[in-house]
This record gives sequence, C-alpha cells and structure tokens, in this order.
Amino acid sequence: MNVQIIGQMAVSGALMGLVYALIAYGFQLTYATSKSINFGQGELVMVSAFFSLTLTNLGLPYWAMIPGGLLFGALMGLIVERAAVRLALEQKSEGWILLTIILGLFFFSSAENIWGRDDRPFPTPISADPIHVLGVDVTRLELSVAVGVIAIMGAIELFKRRTLLGKAFEAVSADRDAAELMGISATRTVMLSYALSGAVAALAGILVSPITTVGPTMASALILKAFSVAVVAGLDSGFGVVLIGMCLGALESLASFYLGSGWREAPGLVLLILALALRPNGVFGKATIRKV
Amino acid sequence: MLHVENLHAGYGASEVLSGASLEVKQGTLVALIGANGAGKTTTMRAISGGLKPSRGRVVLAGQEVQGLDASRIARLGLAHAPEGRKVFGPLSVEDNLLLGAYGRLPRFFGFRTKAQTDLERVYDLFPRLRDRAKQASGTLSGGEQQMLAIGRALMARPKVMLLDEPSMGLAPVIVQEVFRTIRRLKEEGLTLLLVEQFAKSALEVADYAYVMERGRIAVEGTPAELSRNERVIAAYLG
Repeated sequence: MNVQIIGQMAVSGALMGLVYALIAYGFQLTYATSKSINFGQGELVMVSAFFSLTLTNLGLPYWAMIPGGLLFGALMGLIVERAAVRLALEQKSEGWILLTIILGLFFFSSAENIWGRDDRPFPTPISADPIHVLGVDVTRLELSVAVGVIAIMGAIELFKRRTLLGKAFEAVSADRDAAELMGISATRTVMLSYALSGAVAALAGILVSPITTVGPTMASALILKAFSVAVVAGLDSGFGVVLIGMCLGALESLASFYLGSGWREAPGLVLLILALALRPNGVFGKATIRKV
Repeated sequence: MLHVENLHAGYGASEVLSGASLEVKQGTLVALIGANGAGKTTTMRAISGGLKPSRGRVVLAGQEVQGLDASRIARLGLAHAPEGRKVFGPLSVEDNLLLGAYGRLPRFFGFRTKAQTDLERVYDLFPRLRDRAKQASGTLSGGEQQMLAIGRALMARPKVMLLDEPSMGLAPVIVQEVFRTIRRLKEEGLTLLLVEQFAKSALEVADYAYVMERGRIAVEGTPAELSRNERVIAAYLG
C-alpha cells in the first residue's frame, strides 16, 4: 500500500464528507428547535440545485446565483414547515415523519416534470485543475466545497451566539415553554430553523452539483450518508457532524479504492449500525434520539 | 392591573381550575396559597398563556388576554418566573437576562447597550449574578438560579410579575434572602402575584391573599384577616 495514495484518497473523500456534514447540520437546526427533521431533505437539496441551474442558464453569474439559490432553499424550508410539520407538532403527533416524506416525493415528481429525468452538468467558474498541497492533489472545486461548508456553518453559529435572535433560537432549543414566557414566539423560531435548514440544503446542492451533476436522483445517496452522519455524531452534536462527516467520506473513498466501488456504501452502514449499538445518542450527542 | 374572572382550565379531560377569580391591584403584592394540587401553578399557567383556559377572563392592564399565545401575553407586560425556575441551562447568566428583555430589544445588534441600565439594576439587586455573568446558568446553585429567574423576569420591566414557588427546594437561609428581595421589589412599586407553599412567609409580605382549594378560591382577605381565620390557621398556618 502506498501512503501517498491513501492520503490522496482520504483527503478527497473527507472533502466530499463535508457535504454529508452540511446536510446533517441542516437536520440539527430543526431538531434543536422542534425535535423534528425533514425526511425529504434530499429532495430539497435536489430541487434547489435544479433551481440554481436554471438561474445560471438564465444568464445569472455564479456569485449572484448563490444567494438566489439559498433564498429559494429557505423558502422551500418554510413550505415544508408549514405544510408538513406545524400541524403535526401542534397536535403532538409524529405525523411530520410521513408528511415530510410525502412532500419529498411530491418535490421529486415535480422536478422530473419540470426539469426532466436526465443528469445535467452544472457549470462553475471554479477550476477543476489539481493543485498540490502537502503532497496530495486537490482541485479548487473540492476546496470550494470545504470553504462553502465552513463559511455557512460558521455564519450560522456566529448568528446563534452573537445576536439576540440567535440567542432566542438557543433559548427555544433549551426550553420552549420558558422561551415563550420571555415573549419569544416558538412557532416563529421553528420557522426560522426550517428556513435556515433549507438554505443549508440548497448550498449543499450548489456545492456538490459541479462535481456530481444535477439530476432528480442526485441526492438519494447523499441523504442516506447525511442521516448516518447525523445519527453517528448525534443530532445535538454541533460541529461533531463535521468530524464524523469527514471520517465517513474518507472511509468511503478508501473502501471503494481498495475493495471496489461496490463497497462504497459499506463503511457508512457499518458505522451506523455500530453507532446505534454502542452509542445510540451519538458519539458527541447528549439527549436521546427519538426512535422513529 | 391584573383581573382574573371565573377561570376554568385543565389538562385533557380533567379540569384542575373550576372557576378561580382574583384581582391584583397596581403596586400590590398578592399571595396565592393552598395545598399541593389545589391548582395554584395551573392558575399561573392559565394566566400567562402556557395553558389555554377553557372558560373565563384574564384582563391585563385593561386588555383581555385569555387565549393568546404566551409570547404575546409576555410582550403585553406580564412576566412569569415559573415553577422550577426554568433558566436556559446552556446559555450564560447574562444571555438569560438579556432574553428576559427580548420583547423590547433590537434583534440583531446593539441589544446589550440598550439593556445596560436594566442589567446593572438586576446585578445590583443580585451581586452574585454579576460575578457569574459569563457562566452557563445550568451550573448555578438552586438559589442562584432562582435569583436569575426573578432577575430575568424583571428585565422585561413588567406591568405584573407572576412568581411561582420561589422557595421550592432551597435552604432556609436562601429562602429568607429570596423573601427579602421580594419585599424590596414590592417597596419599589412592582405589582406581584406570588404563589407559595410557605403560607406564613407569603402572608408576611403580602398586601392581600387568596387561599385556593380544589381549583377554586376558598377564602380571601388581608393577611391580618386570614391569620385570624380558624380554617386557614388549621390548614396552612398550624
């Protein structure tokens, strides 16, 4: 075995793993405020990517397209909250699980009808030529994924710590009823968390599309891994998802290189089973994950 | 200032409150006493909106508020320091206090400057909170958490403050300190509704008191009157 190849595989895998981490972070945002997550999050990644592609095709430059895509993602997040989550939570039911899945299916068939079933390339001004860093080759495209993921997570965490609205977000996460007594509307805070989660999903789509292409099924594999990362790290683990996401990405890449590409999904599943058996609250988690 | 009339509320099919009425005049401290399970905390929750009353009226400073969301009622000037204190454990003491003033502070920037006078006032009232300003509030002792809960409610500059069982689970010397603070707040002109199991201490600071039994007000009067009432003495002051 060659150390340099292992390093190369691990680094490119870990950079892809950051996308899993970003989607898992989106789960964390809504889980914190409402103990619910959008099981159709993968479709949200996908439709946001298609929408961003459309913006690009309309002639919008890459950097102007990104805010448009994020806004669209936030809007979709709000639609999910209103259509699939709010009523179920008000009735203290678990109905949001089925409803978010159904809404995801609806988004999927809408996307097929609007944009077709083919995978399409996603143009980007960022070059895919490799540059040499510390003995391994990475492309600027891969680095842009890392920068984008860290930037949006950093921005949201800064918002939570430095603004009063962010502190209110944390207050609702800690104790919803007590937060209401302070004049903080829990409903609005849950809406905010779904909007942020949607924007995060959209960014994941924009970052990953130039590498994987855009198509109706682009997110189905991504989302499974994001679930694994969220469960393995814990749904309240904060930056724990970054570490687990990068580990999973690296493991996958090594598995497909040494065992063959058919084994690509194996590490994620093994990790998931191990985590559920040994640390059901997640490696970095505190509270119990709701069994669903 | 706060007027409660024929309040009915409960959990699911079981009715806990069956027609409670009470009145808190501006600048007075009213105590609500009674045995465990009489409905004191339920009354507080039904007033502040955590629990929707099924019948009855709650009037806060001339405005009907029954049925509104708790956050809405809070922004109209009712601060509720709940039973069990309910501080935001992962957040710092200062963040807890800032959130107490959420309704009247800017949401993004400059909120700390705008809250400075109120923060100083609370820190002067509870110097120990100043020392622990940056500490996660979940790591405070029970007494400190109670002070934080009261301080957080004060930050709202409320028209009426509801204070639910401030002495619960605290050592006697801390309970005395809490009651000294309550007396001081009343002297500063705060309008307070106090729920307390230590009926004696509550009657010492109150201007008027209600005794609750099985979801209704059984007896009411000034502390002097209640202290002469044989039924009250036998049940709560013996």
